[in-house]
Amino acid sequence: MKAFKEISILLSVSIIAALAVNYFSPAGIALFGQWDTAKGVITANEKNHIVLNDLEIGDVTLAKKLYDSKQFVFVDARSQDDYDEGHIKGAVSLPVGQFDEKIEAFSEQYPPDKPIITYCSGRTCEDSHKLAQRLLEFGYLETGVFIDGFPGWEAAGYPIE
Amino acid sequence: MAARWILGGIFVYASYDKVLAPAVFAKIIYGYDLFPAPFINLIAIIVPFLELVTGIALIIGFYPRSAALMVNAMLLFFITALSINLIRGHEFDCGCFSINSGAQETFAGTLIFRDFLLLALGLYIFFYRYERKLCVLSSPG
Repeated sequence: MKAFKEISILLSVSIIAALAVNYFSPAGIALFGQWDTAKGVITANEKNHIVLNDLEIGDVTLAKKLYDSKQFVFVDARSQDDYDEGHIKGAVSLPVGQFDEKIEAFSEQYPPDKPIITYCSGRTCEDSHKLAQRLLEFGYLETGVFIDGFPGWEAAGYPIE
Repeated sequence: MAARWILGGIFVYASYDKVLAPAVFAKIIYGYDLFPAPFINLIAIIVPFLELVTGIALIIGFYPRSAALMVNAMLLFFITALSINLIRGHEFDCGCFSINSGAQETFAGTLIFRDFLLLALGLYIFFYRYERKLCVLSSPG
């Protein structure tokens, strides 16, 4: 019984501390996340979370229509290595980790009024959302996120290079 | 006492990264592909603090025997999770100490072995029959 009491005390201290810190910390997360890839990109729902569902393009055929319209620039948020291994045909590489170094050159070629669609490695990857967020902050007017990313595009048999 | 400090120190160290970035840890838990969606965030919030609190309890000697029991239970839990993914060949990120994904991809067997070593240490503390030194609050035997 003594062990039971001690364990209860240690457990309660842990749980109370965990919930309190999570509640007050800016890095805290919601008690329930979104972990169903059928509903879109997975996320723990942080307080300042970057997954903006209204930017999302969750349908591969819609992405293809936008692609065929040639109005949009497809921007690859993955690393340079991933891009070199294969990407959506005509897509431009802008790894989100190197945003600050590369955005100058990028914006000279593609001015902020150019509509942009970002993508990364599908629904378990948030990089395309981060990139879209950075682009919007930089002043780009229209960005969408193609959430099925390169794997979805490739699986649909659409042009890659 | 030394065993308590080592095991407690390891647990405190392991909890540090996860306490700071629960969202990243949550994603790693998702990557284990073992837990139902409604529990993922709760695990990500509570487990790092369980590690932290039991680790501190071991170091300062606050109910050391019960803390050791809880640490052993957690280690068994980690070993089970790692083993299941090792057996079914599921690729995943351990998230044991650091949460920087891709930093290292250690073979799950090595991780399981390491957890067993820690478990041995935890059992030693649990079954330790002699007087415990430098304890804040400890119940006998």
